[in-house]
Amino acid sequence: MLGISLKAIYSVAKKEFADNVRNRWIVALTIIFVILMLLASYVAGAQTGGGSVLGGMEETVIGLMSIAVILIPLIAVMLGYASIAGECENGSMGILLSHPIRRGEILVGKLIGLGFVIVVSTVVGFGSAGILIAATVGAESGAAYVSFIGLTILSGFLYLSMAVLFSTIAKSRTKALGMGVVLIFWSMIYGMIIFGVYMATGGDIQGLMTGSEPFPNWLYASIVISPADLYQLAVMMAFEIKLVFGYSFDVPFFMTTEFAVMVQILWIELAVVLAYFSFKKRDI
Amino acid sequence: MNENYDPEIAIETRNLSKRFKDVLAVDSLYMSVKRGEIYGFLGPNGAGKTTTIKMIMGLIRATRGNIFLNGTRIDDGFDVEHRRKTGYLPEQVAFYRNLTPVQTLNFFCELKDVDKSIVVPLIEEVGLTDAIHRKVGTYSKGMVQLLGIAQAMIGNPSIYIFDEPMGGLDARWVKVTREKIRNLNKQGATVLFSSHILSEVQALCNRVAIIDEGKLLAVDTVPNLSKRLHIMPQLEITVPGLGGRVPEAVFNVPGVETAEAEGDKLLVTCDTDARVDVITALKEAGVEIRDFRTIEPSLEDAFVKMISGGGD
Repeated sequence: MLGISLKAIYSVAKKEFADNVRNRWIVALTIIFVILMLLASYVAGAQTGGGSVLGGMEETVIGLMSIAVILIPLIAVMLGYASIAGECENGSMGILLSHPIRRGEILVGKLIGLGFVIVVSTVVGFGSAGILIAATVGAESGAAYVSFIGLTILSGFLYLSMAVLFSTIAKSRTKALGMGVVLIFWSMIYGMIIFGVYMATGGDIQGLMTGSEPFPNWLYASIVISPADLYQLAVMMAFEIKLVFGYSFDVPFFMTTEFAVMVQILWIELAVVLAYFSFKKRDI
Repeated sequence: MNENYDPEIAIETRNLSKRFKDVLAVDSLYMSVKRGEIYGFLGPNGAGKTTTIKMIMGLIRATRGNIFLNGTRIDDGFDVEHRRKTGYLPEQVAFYRNLTPVQTLNFFCELKDVDKSIVVPLIEEVGLTDAIHRKVGTYSKGMVQLLGIAQAMIGNPSIYIFDEPMGGLDARWVKVTREKIRNLNKQGATVLFSSHILSEVQALCNRVAIIDEGKLLAVDTVPNLSKRLHIMPQLEITVPGLGGRVPEAVFNVPGVETAEAEGDKLLVTCDTDARVDVITALKEAGVEIRDFRTIEPSLEDAFVKMISGGGD
């Protein structure tokens, strides 16, 4: 009887969703997310009343993205960090494991249930902003907007699977949260690190701005280790935005949305596999 | 199934050991719990009780040794089927903050493949009907503990394993819990429960195992154990103006083992039956008694005796 019980996975997913969709932190972060998204879509795009649709679209996407890139990781980490360590700490994991369910089933069930909370938060945030944009500017970029939502959910899944991995490794929920914060921080400062490395390796800001000295490919490719940059690359390529705050940037030919999506899926797969082994050998 | 399976044994450990870094928490434990008995697992905090129970429940991996439930070896960690027939209450009980008790128990019913129609009657049975619509996150410790017992009862297990089921509960909840354990046992279940409080174990158990520093020191019935350990309750009598002197009359009472005086307090160790005689003898000798009480022997005393060779 080594088969996996889909029924058990479904039960855990349903329980996780029901428990966490009512979690005060998640509700609060989602509300903040919705408000900021509405503000950004109003200020950047909707405000122009469609006068400058193309420019408005770009500003709007960058505005929404810079909010999502902070709030979605926060929501994902808040959902995932306590999922294993917290339950082990407070004793509910012991009870759960005294019922006929395998650790792998618990892990998968949690990822699905918590993932679904991310889907809800993202769709609520982007949905309300989308309605405002469609009503004021128009729905020309509707298809790209839908992929924008999909890419945001993917990024949320990446942070969630990492947070759950941290939760299987860390002895306490506090330590798991600490690791999650480090991941978010790492993503936030990675851009600065890249510039530091660029300067240190003989790069020249002046040349970069004027485009006479393009960013080296290897340095560009290094964003595969920064989840936030992968997300932003994927979104900008999806909307074919090549101009950020007035600066044009030429990305290497291989840095496509598909590439960024593949790398993020690889992150998720790795995190889930590592989480499985770490949880399996853990003493509860 | 193992070849030496005794159908009378519900839980068995053989040579069970667990090492945490440089601490040997459980040391070559051989233990067997008979079918249908209440088995007390007694020891001070840190003796290895919880570690042993967690190994039996498959929550932590044994460093060495084997565990059998109803004759099936379970320490290889693959079989989850045996968990359908066991009910477990950990030392620290917790559930999911934002779910109601019905949602919580429904979830465990799904996992155990048990019809959900039992949930509401089960909540009623443990006395939580008044709080049935509240979120479990708002429950007191005693209420969570009761929900824990309800959770363990899903699927009518034949084996119950309770880790400190009365730890930190006030008198009312202790009584409820004790009755619950007795009822489950009456219905035919085997109960293994741990405690560091002698009186809890005394009141409930058929047999008691004493464990310390990961080693099993003794297994016996409560009366036999008391006899072996010479555990006797102490009588503390307050006599004004005693002045540290033991009245002669005490020593003439049959059944008195020792008597000593500390200030105004007279401490007499004697058989349970001799307690009234001691009081009477003192009164007859004209000693004024202001107050008296019985001090139950602490487990620590028993351990000191056992470790210093007072046991066998």
